[in-house]
Amino acid sequence: MQHRTFLEYRRYRYLKIALLLVIASIVAYSIHSSPVGRYGGSPVGYVLGSIAAALIVALMWLGVQKRRYRANVGGLRGWVSAHVYLGTSLIVIATLHAGFQIGWNVHTLAYALMIMVIVSGFFGVYAYLRFPSLMTENMGEDTRDGLILKIADLDRELRRVALSLPDEFVKIVEASVRDTRIGGSVLTQLSRRPANCPTQRAVAFINAAGKTLKGEAQQQNHALYALMLRKQKLVKRARDDVRFKALLDLWLYAHVPLSFALLGALLAHIVAVFFYW
Amino acid sequence: MKLLLVQITRNRQGQAARAEQTLEIDVLRVGRGSDCKLHLADPRVALHHATIGRASDGVCFVEAATGTIKINGQFERVARLRPGQAISVGPFELIVQEPPEGYDLALSFELLEALPQEIASGRRKLRASLRNTWLSKRLMSWFGAVLVLAAFLVWPVMHALNPAGPLPGRVTPAGVTITADAAWDPGPLASGHHSFGRDCAKCHATPFVQAKNEQCESCHPSIGWHFARDSKEKKALHEAVFMQSDNAARCASCHRDHKGPLGLVRQDSPLCTQCHADLKSRHAQTQLPDIGDFARDHPAFKLSMLVPGKTGPEAIVRVAQGGPKLAESANLKFPHDVHLSSKGVRGPNGRVVMECRNCHIPDETGTRFKPTTMKDHCQACHSLEFEPRAGNRQVPHGNVDDVIATVREFYAQAVLADTPIDVVVQDGIRPPGERLSATQRQSALNWATQKADKITRELMEDRVCFSCHQITRADAADSAAPASAGAWKIAPIAVTQHWLPKARFPHNQHATHECGSCHKVAQSKSSSDIAIPDIKNCRECHGGNATAADKAPGTCETCHGFHVGGARSGTPVPLPGTTPGGLPYDPKDSKDPRQKAVQKVVSTP
Repeated sequence: MQHRTFLEYRRYRYLKIALLLVIASIVAYSIHSSPVGRYGGSPVGYVLGSIAAALIVALMWLGVQKRRYRANVGGLRGWVSAHVYLGTSLIVIATLHAGFQIGWNVHTLAYALMIMVIVSGFFGVYAYLRFPSLMTENMGEDTRDGLILKIADLDRELRRVALSLPDEFVKIVEASVRDTRIGGSVLTQLSRRPANCPTQRAVAFINAAGKTLKGEAQQQNHALYALMLRKQKLVKRARDDVRFKALLDLWLYAHVPLSFALLGALLAHIVAVFFYW
Repeated sequence: MKLLLVQITRNRQGQAARAEQTLEIDVLRVGRGSDCKLHLADPRVALHHATIGRASDGVCFVEAATGTIKINGQFERVARLRPGQAISVGPFELIVQEPPEGYDLALSFELLEALPQEIASGRRKLRASLRNTWLSKRLMSWFGAVLVLAAFLVWPVMHALNPAGPLPGRVTPAGVTITADAAWDPGPLASGHHSFGRDCAKCHATPFVQAKNEQCESCHPSIGWHFARDSKEKKALHEAVFMQSDNAARCASCHRDHKGPLGLVRQDSPLCTQCHADLKSRHAQTQLPDIGDFARDHPAFKLSMLVPGKTGPEAIVRVAQGGPKLAESANLKFPHDVHLSSKGVRGPNGRVVMECRNCHIPDETGTRFKPTTMKDHCQACHSLEFEPRAGNRQVPHGNVDDVIATVREFYAQAVLADTPIDVVVQDGIRPPGERLSATQRQSALNWATQKADKITRELMEDRVCFSCHQITRADAADSAAPASAGAWKIAPIAVTQHWLPKARFPHNQHATHECGSCHKVAQSKSSSDIAIPDIKNCRECHGGNATAADKAPGTCETCHGFHVGGARSGTPVPLPGTTPGGLPYDPKDSKDPRQKAVQKVVSTP
């Protein structure tokens, strides 16, 4: 049986609910027109706005729910499924609530924040569907810690082999051993090939400088080169793992803070509307 | 395959201890996975690292599960096993031993490189997650939410509740003025309300309370309600219809601002038809018909007809079109067909082909027309000359006494002064330069008076006045008696100025149409013909409440207004000194019930 994602949860139960909600909103919007047009303050506008606000609060509850050990209301997968589909339906519901009216005000700020939250959520769905399989493919049977240990073993071997080679070889190998970093700053974690990687430099150096060696030294250099290539491969896999994990997490650093900004803007929007009723 | 596995472990002093195990299996899987018979529990070993087996010819071999495996320092994919070979599996070393008697293969394995302490204990730190960087969801969430709430909720609310408080009402960064509640503005104000600027409290006086009528009325004090509340019954009706709930009586329930320059006035029919489609259910005693959709349910137009000889409210009756042919009693002889003849009419300078606009001149608003007057529109052709030999003399228009006096004065002047008129004097021809004797003067004056009265009778009964006015000789009047104002009855002119005063029809917006396409006057021989088009005529172009692709809008608001007496209401603003029906109206007559209405209308800005 094929692995089912959260999108297919209970035969698309929440997709159907979201579609129903969207269709009902469109029908209500089309049928009812207030005397001064369709806008948030018309009767249908109030209903759509209430639904949208309730959905936003309910969907943010996922953040609380997922931290609860006893997440037994449909399970976490059900919550994520509802979160994704109902969240997407907000695009239609909130747009109809606003009656396609925008301006430079807190009302449109709340709308814009909501759209940003949803779009960042789309990236999250993409990330959850794509990166875990990429990570599995990249790691195979290894674990990240296993890779680090293998690299450490290779480092010892590299040091040993390099000892019988000229000083500059020892130096470049030492640099690779000491200064090769897995992970690091945000940008380093996200970059495909960190700039100025000492292992990268060592591979290039050993390849180029090895041509000047002769006899026994050349053979040693050959072995060193093979080891360094293995290390480079392992380092790349470890870094790819870090990168995929970072990409898998990155969207949340937009999604969550924007959600809270949205919650603030939503509150301000509602108070503003009724303060100056 | 019978296999001897020897695990070698060493104590601190480096002394080896052996643990032997005999297996009878087809293949030996090597790895850290639990399904591997040679189970090497270390993260540096692959889940399934290698397989050791025995070929059908009895040769034992090792095969890497993926990629290659290091045997005696060389990387191989598959290798035949010989005693003394060292196979590296991560930190383990497998050595092929000479198999004892009865065994196919013997292997010893030993852990050479123990797991580094910091990893084995899980204390090693690696910045390999965004969680270990400066990024913080919690911090960013707090920052965003607090910033938004402070700028868009706390500042405006605090300032609105306490304008004199510590928070400024406006800030001006880089020359741009931002007021505390600017971001709350949901949309542009109606054009007239733009002058409020950013003073939201002008309408939104109390927090969390909807804008009240008092706010509107402070600037618009003279806006009328839907009908006049001039009787007890009407007051009660007003209460019942409009004051049922607080919300129903709100100006803002119809007039919604912040909807752009045109959003303030409702243009829809349901505003009206929610009551007028079934008015009796709201007010059983009403005389008004039910009106739903202009295209289907609108009754025939009712014309405001002047009643000859009546004044006050009785001077106007409302008569529906579509019944017996209606006739206006304007008391004016005016055949439209003669005036609009394509051959033209005789004028002082020859024949002239007349057009509607020669007499019907749009008023300042362009919606209706200035009254047609004798002086401005008729007299150029219909001269009031009475003596052909004195073409520049005309009788005054409007008062019979003035006419009699003017004619008498003319002929008296003619006989007494030295005029070229061949006055026949009883005493014969008067020589030039000779002064008349007293007897002669009296005789001349007698003649002049008779002549003048004859001419006046002609004017009143035969030509000039008679050609337009309905003039009858008073019964008692003797044709031989001297002319006097009482001798004739001139029926008063009563031309209706507004046939449909409860609707508005902007003529300027219909200027693309020929006048005759609605007003069929080209064949009209009498001023009694009424050329006001009926509802069918309007429906040719105007649809109903629903927007139709091939029709102009035909909502209630297209022709009617809600507020009685307002500038945009269906009741027209009469010219000062006239009533809506067009009758002369005396503003000093305080008994006239129309006075109040007219004054109100005139004073409306």
